[in-house]
Amino acid sequence: MKTYTICVFTENSIGLLNKITIIFTRRRLNIESLTVSETERKGVSRFTIVIKHEQREAVEKLVRQIRKVVEVLAVFGYLNDDIVYNEIALFKLPTPLDSKPLDMETINREHKAYIVYWDLDYVVLQKTGTEEEIFEFFKYVKPHGILEFVRSGRVAVSKTPKGLVEYLPDEVEWEYYL
Amino acid sequence: MAIAEELLEKEVSTQTPETFITGSKALMECLLAESVDTIFGYPGGAIMPVYDALYDYMDRINHILVRHEQGASHAAEGYARSSGRVGVCMATSGPGATNLVTGIADAIIDCTPMVAITGQVASNLLGTDAFQETDVIGITAPVCKWNYQITRADEIPEIMAKAFYIAMAGKPGPVLIDITKDAQIGMMTKPFEYKKIDKLPGYHPRIKPKAEQVQKAAELINSAKKPYILVGHGVLISEAMEEFRALVEKADIPVASTLLGLSAISIEHPNYMGWLGMHGMYAPNVMTDQCDVLIAIGMRFDDRVTGDATLFAKQAKIVHIEVDPAEIDKIKKAEAPVVGDAKEALKMLLPLIEKRDFTAWKKEFRDLEPAEHAAVNERDFAGEGKIKMAEVVRMVSDKTKGEACVVVDVGQHQMISARYYDFKKPHSYIASGGLGTMGFAIPAAFGAKMGAPEREVVAFIGDGCFQMTIQELGTIAQSGVAVKMIILNNNFLGMVRQWQQLFFDRRYSFVELQNPDFITISKGFGIPGHTCDDRASLSESIDTLLNSEGSYVLEVIVEKEENVFPMVPAGRSVSEIRLK
Repeated sequence: MKTYTICVFTENSIGLLNKITIIFTRRRLNIESLTVSETERKGVSRFTIVIKHEQREAVEKLVRQIRKVVEVLAVFGYLNDDIVYNEIALFKLPTPLDSKPLDMETINREHKAYIVYWDLDYVVLQKTGTEEEIFEFFKYVKPHGILEFVRSGRVAVSKTPKGLVEYLPDEVEWEYYL
Repeated sequence: MAIAEELLEKEVSTQTPETFITGSKALMECLLAESVDTIFGYPGGAIMPVYDALYDYMDRINHILVRHEQGASHAAEGYARSSGRVGVCMATSGPGATNLVTGIADAIIDCTPMVAITGQVASNLLGTDAFQETDVIGITAPVCKWNYQITRADEIPEIMAKAFYIAMAGKPGPVLIDITKDAQIGMMTKPFEYKKIDKLPGYHPRIKPKAEQVQKAAELINSAKKPYILVGHGVLISEAMEEFRALVEKADIPVASTLLGLSAISIEHPNYMGWLGMHGMYAPNVMTDQCDVLIAIGMRFDDRVTGDATLFAKQAKIVHIEVDPAEIDKIKKAEAPVVGDAKEALKMLLPLIEKRDFTAWKKEFRDLEPAEHAAVNERDFAGEGKIKMAEVVRMVSDKTKGEACVVVDVGQHQMISARYYDFKKPHSYIASGGLGTMGFAIPAAFGAKMGAPEREVVAFIGDGCFQMTIQELGTIAQSGVAVKMIILNNNFLGMVRQWQQLFFDRRYSFVELQNPDFITISKGFGIPGHTCDDRASLSESIDTLLNSEGSYVLEVIVEKEENVFPMVPAGRSVSEIRLK
């Protein structure tokens, strides 16, 4: 199983998320994570979809099917080496009076995580990194007990000299990069 | 459909200049701007303002009142397939819209251009489970090329222009436009202006292929020792029949068609070898294992064509000419893909193709024919026992000189019609190919006649299929156009029965029908007809059908347990084709 990151550039219109996700569900593909935001170009949204798949060919076919959605301007499929990517996670940890204090030095220096909020009984730590780094940190804080843990989907930018929207919409035609 | 209660109407500003029009009127103007002359539809609560506007346009737009919305979508398909123009159908919200869905799903898989217009509850009621509210956009998203919900009258011109462009451009398909009632009633806030479009930021299919792709394809074709062309629906859609014929003749390559590619080239053409697929002809199927270069034009390697796709033509290099890039390499890897419209691609390809002579190679196809004739045709035309479907089709073919527009339903009769009708004119085989929709033929035949009134339309329909959309006889009778319908009645769901016989140990599970008196029913709808039960009167019966001025239903009682051969069992290699 390889991890693929699919970046989809679309017009910003209602119902588009459904039109894209049904392409995955019809082929029984599980979406590992999905993030949507507006790009540096107004009116253009960017979907970052992470899937795991054994066959590169099947992912290429999927990319072409996504490209068929009328509001989709361009689709790019990437392997991890082609992109710079990150996720963000929040950990809510209990800090009752009698508990072992958190080792903030290790948390800050080794895990590059820091406190974004604290209250009398708990703290909220924020950790940015890859899925692996976040789970490493998860294992580290687990003995303290975790009240809540949430992880975002992946965001990724390509390692190409140009911005991806520079390829939009005409120059790219039906092509995709994978 | 019950009439919806009057919904809250959007208040219309009294300051609106008189020149501004309502959304419904704007919709009518859009249809006129797109030269729409026929709509198949059914009124109901949420589409009533549109029907009210239509009342003033009756002289310019012919609205056909169907009896069920499924009939509207299939009729729009038939219209589109015979005329090459966008078929338009219309229904109200909720059940009206959901009834259209089968026809929409049929249209997307067979690449039929269609614009479906549905009414929707007022925008302030969306998501409240209002009367006849259904999430039509959600329901139809997987089966539409594009869909959109209009909630303001001002959006109508731009969205309709997009709808008609998308429906026709590149690989055609259905577009559904859902219009809320307030957008129908509401006034536009600017003067109506309709601009046709030919490009969208996210949709601009490649029509003219890249020269280097065509060059590579030409080199492969020129280097071939045993080239073989498979022609699909795409050649008919892009009206590339002339260009196609020119290529075939210059390169002297044998041709087989897919089911929907039937009539792209005349059956009389010396290079035409028949059609291929699960029930296709023997030589066209097995020769896919012999060719060295397979040239697929406007087809998509459907599993009913390939059988086991991993074994299909595995020795051959493939040239794939196709307008939809997603089809390239989807089923079969193409050495030389050409993304573009068939007509443009063939125009570019022709000068690059060398003149060749493949007499010996073509003879290899012809040499296989006697075996098929002995096993299949001779049985079909033995003239014993009950009438066979094949005899009816062949006789109709002869009497119409192979020039009728044949519309078929789904099942054995569909395959037999494809096998024994001698198509001499293009756009002459209208079938539900990809979806296999029973009940397609009555409304589609009617639509086809509306789309090509100058042509004789003959429909072959099974007794099971006939009952699925039998109510559309009412539509046909009311419209007054002449549709010639032949029921090939074997009192069975024949194709399912055949599979049960061959693959399920003759366990006939729910395939025998107790049929009504079809002729009495037809007469009840005002369409004359009669039943033919013996071979001696078949010719006369077909004459009566063909000579009748208006629509006519001929029921022919055919052999009950007849099987269609050749047959490639599902999921098997074409080399395992059975002749009996």
